[in-house]
Amino acid sequence: MSNMNRRNFLKTTGGVALATGVTLAAPSLSNAAGAGKIVIVGGGVAGATTARYLKLGNKDLDVTIVEPNASYHTCFMSNEVIGGGRKLSQIEQTYDGLQKIGIKVLKDSVTSIDAAKKTVMTKGGSKLGYDHCVVAPGISFLSDEFANVGSFGKITHAWKAGPQTALLRRQLEAMHDGGTVAIVAPPNPFRCPPGPYERASLIAEYLQNNKPKSKVVIIDRKDKFSKQGLFTGAWKNLYGYGTDNSMIEWRSAASTGGIESISAPDMTIETLSGGTEKFDVINYIPRQTSGSIAKTVGLTNAKGWCDVDKTTFESKVHKGIYVLGDASVATKMPKSGYSANSQGKVCAAAIVNMIAGKPVGTPSYVNTCYSIAGKDYGFSVAAVYRNNADKDIIAGVKGAGGLTPGDASSEMRRREVEFAYSWYNNITKDTWG
Amino acid sequence: MRKSLMYTLAAGALFGLIGVSSAQAGEAEASMLANTCNGCHGPDGVSQGPAAPTIAGMNKFYLTESLKAYRDGKNRPSTIMARIAKGYSDSEIEKIAGYFSAKPFGRVAMQNTDVAKAMKGKALVKDLCESCHEKEGFAAEDYPVLAGQMLPYLRNNLADFKSGLRSIDANPNMSDKEKRKKKRTLAELRDKHGADGVEAVLQFYASRK
Repeated sequence: MSNMNRRNFLKTTGGVALATGVTLAAPSLSNAAGAGKIVIVGGGVAGATTARYLKLGNKDLDVTIVEPNASYHTCFMSNEVIGGGRKLSQIEQTYDGLQKIGIKVLKDSVTSIDAAKKTVMTKGGSKLGYDHCVVAPGISFLSDEFANVGSFGKITHAWKAGPQTALLRRQLEAMHDGGTVAIVAPPNPFRCPPGPYERASLIAEYLQNNKPKSKVVIIDRKDKFSKQGLFTGAWKNLYGYGTDNSMIEWRSAASTGGIESISAPDMTIETLSGGTEKFDVINYIPRQTSGSIAKTVGLTNAKGWCDVDKTTFESKVHKGIYVLGDASVATKMPKSGYSANSQGKVCAAAIVNMIAGKPVGTPSYVNTCYSIAGKDYGFSVAAVYRNNADKDIIAGVKGAGGLTPGDASSEMRRREVEFAYSWYNNITKDTWG
Repeated sequence: MRKSLMYTLAAGALFGLIGVSSAQAGEAEASMLANTCNGCHGPDGVSQGPAAPTIAGMNKFYLTESLKAYRDGKNRPSTIMARIAKGYSDSEIEKIAGYFSAKPFGRVAMQNTDVAKAMKGKALVKDLCESCHEKEGFAAEDYPVLAGQMLPYLRNNLADFKSGLRSIDANPNMSDKEKRKKKRTLAELRDKHGADGVEAVLQFYASRK
């Protein structure tokens, strides 16, 4: 609806309100401000969810996703591909479901955004104007600190799912029985905090069943990690953790004194206290920062992440640009798929309301995150959040949320795996349609 | 045309006023609260399976009762729901329950059910379950919809009724007569028809499209 139409519409409805004797406040008129144009940078969980919920909230909105890949491989459940329990095609999501409801998907990369002129420029030469721009670029790697890692052709990161996931799987299949796999776990903050430890678990499960003389060594760049008690409990129950025959070994940053070098040509990792050690497979998960477009546009803070308003996810740097998912500072929500999905709904509702001339509304956020440690052995963490404007954080509701109890029965752990698989099917449907 | 627009606007304004007066200040809208459930229970509460139950199309009272039972840690074993439900007030729970009860119960998940077992279950259901879970489990008026519900979810709940983790006696919303009837029926199913009978009933409900 153009501005002229909007004025006419208001004039007409004002007359109606007087005639019927009902006082009609302008903000309660739905679609009063007409349709808006929204450009979304990135078709991952945050971008796709925002697109879908914008369209569900107001089918007249003009929504375009700019995404360089033809499909998206979810990081969640990619550890099952690495462990051999799932095929790569089973974590692939297409954009058909979004296109079916009228969302445009442009296969291209965004090179810059002009926040003043409200335009998005792409590598392919497109120039897209917008009323609201959602930047959901996920993460990029700070992998230049170890010169000899190479370009991830031999040492994998496998922290953006897809070909890297398949490569790590092939390396595990090719490894001889008796080999050692190293996982270098990144420092905080990073995407999917329990991910490296679930990965170690599912690699150990594969090795136990196929190459039982082998083991996994996690060389951590932290001294503690997500769901630590539950993981170490599972490793004791399943993989002999803490014994001489353990299939998993975890080394804290304090115990190694830190990593000195990693070499792809030699397949070695050198730590301060442990010297140089050779491995058969090295999975190096680099230190992380926002997806690179966020920095290009100037949305990042000194630490490399994007500060946002917690009720709309609008950038604190540029008005009209919203940043959500892994790239945003959404304290205290973790950088998880469910967080990105939940944030997408909050952002979409805020934009839909703004376009309708209504207040942005009160947000509600949830995170649920499942980890699978072995056959019939799952556990989860959950939280329900509200905005705390005074502290500028997304605060967990006191008394709610938390971890699966350490003494959960084996039946409850089995059910958590069933619910983890349901979680996957439902969140992907909710995100990509 | 003009007249219909007038009625629409007047009705909209009235709804707006009612909405404001009944909601607590600063509380999120029903859709905002409910949409956070979709990541696990499916878009609009319709599960894609295999285990997380569809919550769309259940009666509002049952959804409210369930969320409060999870939240208050009474009579409803769960993996994650107790932790989630503790995040919501009574009035938020009412909104979430109202939202999903107004959505249709979709049957979209591919469930591998056994035709022979489901056929056997059909006869048992007619005898034992139909008087409460009416219309072969499609009815939602008084009790939860069972037709097309996720098989692992139904199986887990029958196991919990058997173990007593989910206790009929402890349900504050059933009359003594209802409790006696339900316990008698479940006992008859188990004692007379055994584990195969229980499985047949579950297969029947899960296979309904």
